[in-house]
Amino acid sequence: MGTKWRRAVLEGALLCLLFFVIFGPISSLVIWSIAIRWYWPHVLPQEIGLAYWKQALGLQRDWAIAAVSIWGAFGTSMLVALVATALVMTMAIPAGYALARYRVPLKALILLLFLMPKAFPQQPIFVNLLPTFTRWGLAGTVQGVILIHILVCLIFGVWITTSAFKAIPQELEEAARSVGATRWRTFWKVLLPLAAPGLLVSTVFVFITSLTEFTGTFFIGLPFVTTLPMLLYSSSGYNMQFASVIAIVLLIPSLLFMVLIQRVFRPEYMGGIAG
Amino acid sequence: MRSGSSAVEVKGLGGGTVRFLPLFLLLPAVAFILVMYIYPFALSIVRSFTDESGGLSLVNYYKAVSLYGRDILFSIQVAILGTLISTVLSLALASYIRLSDSRMARLINSLSRLGIFLPYVVVAQMMRSFLAPHGLLNVLLANMGLVDIDSPLQLFNIRGLTFGFLWKETPFITFIVLSGLQVIDDTYIEAARSVGARTRHIILRILLPMIKPTIAIAVVLTFCTIVSTFTLPYMIVAGNPTTVTVDIAHRVTYFGDYRVASALGVFLYLIVGVMAVYYLRRTVREEVYGY
Repeated sequence: MGTKWRRAVLEGALLCLLFFVIFGPISSLVIWSIAIRWYWPHVLPQEIGLAYWKQALGLQRDWAIAAVSIWGAFGTSMLVALVATALVMTMAIPAGYALARYRVPLKALILLLFLMPKAFPQQPIFVNLLPTFTRWGLAGTVQGVILIHILVCLIFGVWITTSAFKAIPQELEEAARSVGATRWRTFWKVLLPLAAPGLLVSTVFVFITSLTEFTGTFFIGLPFVTTLPMLLYSSSGYNMQFASVIAIVLLIPSLLFMVLIQRVFRPEYMGGIAG
Repeated sequence: MRSGSSAVEVKGLGGGTVRFLPLFLLLPAVAFILVMYIYPFALSIVRSFTDESGGLSLVNYYKAVSLYGRDILFSIQVAILGTLISTVLSLALASYIRLSDSRMARLINSLSRLGIFLPYVVVAQMMRSFLAPHGLLNVLLANMGLVDIDSPLQLFNIRGLTFGFLWKETPFITFIVLSGLQVIDDTYIEAARSVGARTRHIILRILLPMIKPTIAIAVVLTFCTIVSTFTLPYMIVAGNPTTVTVDIAHRVTYFGDYRVASALGVFLYLIVGVMAVYYLRRTVREEVYGY
């Protein structure tokens, strides 16, 4: 009985510590986003309200509140993320199918290409693309930012798609082929519906990665393309409330994604690790 | 006859068009990576060895070391510190979750996963407000009497930066390690218990050694991520020393100096070098040869 109690107390303490470490920073964001006045060293703000939220969401315009509507940046972010995701998946689905189902010549070399961007820092890549992009008239444009987002997201798309196809037993396709279905029809009618949940995870992961991309947009997009992360960055120095509002807006999709896909997400999705 | 030949074709052994089909399917993705990744990767190395007049030279490396030598060491220090602490924490947390079947352990498991997908830009803003001299952490500590109100903790340096990395990377390693641990059959643990092994021994001598390769990959990826991350140090480290990634941004945005920035980039490649090569070799080998 003694050890059982000690164990419960230890577990409780661990839980409390974890709770504080995880929710401390998150609650700091939440409190700042509704703080109108908050003087040091008070634990809680003196005056709270939704003024910054309302202004950020375009519901009011008050010169005393240092926030602008986020809808413009939200629109840019959505446009970039939707186009980038569509193009990434257009390339990733055939690539993933080939890697999962065929003996690919030069497979080691091709895999290396898809793994290198994860192993080595990407910032020098963005920096060295900037002069080229400037020459091509892509720097500071939405098209340029979309290209950079595709670069950042493509490897994740290929990994997750490959592993989604691999998870489907090949016998079903062989059965369809043996009764005379064409390769294309087998892919379309048998494999694709079975792999759909995995492909959905891949698509959503790519979408969220693009939505929250910072470094590439910073070098290629600034100061002309303002996505939500760029707006967050530019307000973060001087305006804690407004920056916190944007941070929460960006935090919601990632948290939702975590809660929804807990059960189906596998480690190889994050590192290209087999098994 | 017909069914036999198509079954062979499904495996990709058929001749003619089929042999090139996989390459054709891979072409768009491979071409994109070649143009948008490999080309600028090679460019960054070439640029780092080029002087103003276009000749071959080490002047960029000389500048990088003399101006930013301290920051190169700082980046290495942060990466080692962050990787080491988050690995130890993750191994302890994952082992605990694997061995305990209480409701609290399940709660701790869900809680520990919460941060996995949060982007660094959000984590950076969170840390910026939480760790500030007048931020929530100092407010709480001051009100508990643990910190002097007039001299709050200064955390916009290596301490705060490491904390931010731990906050983001510990859930990641825990997730990977725990997935590995969950594959291990319960009978190993029961057998060890039945001959009187202590929990500590079960973890250190049985469970963790069985998943060494998984742990290695998680550690390597974390190290590479910490070295590569620009957002977090850029947004929370005040002044010097700072990370190489921040120096690269300064070099480009203030001076338009792509050559020294590229030399600094090559230093980043070298810092992750051994680890990155290990990760690439292992993953490719496993995928291609299956071991």
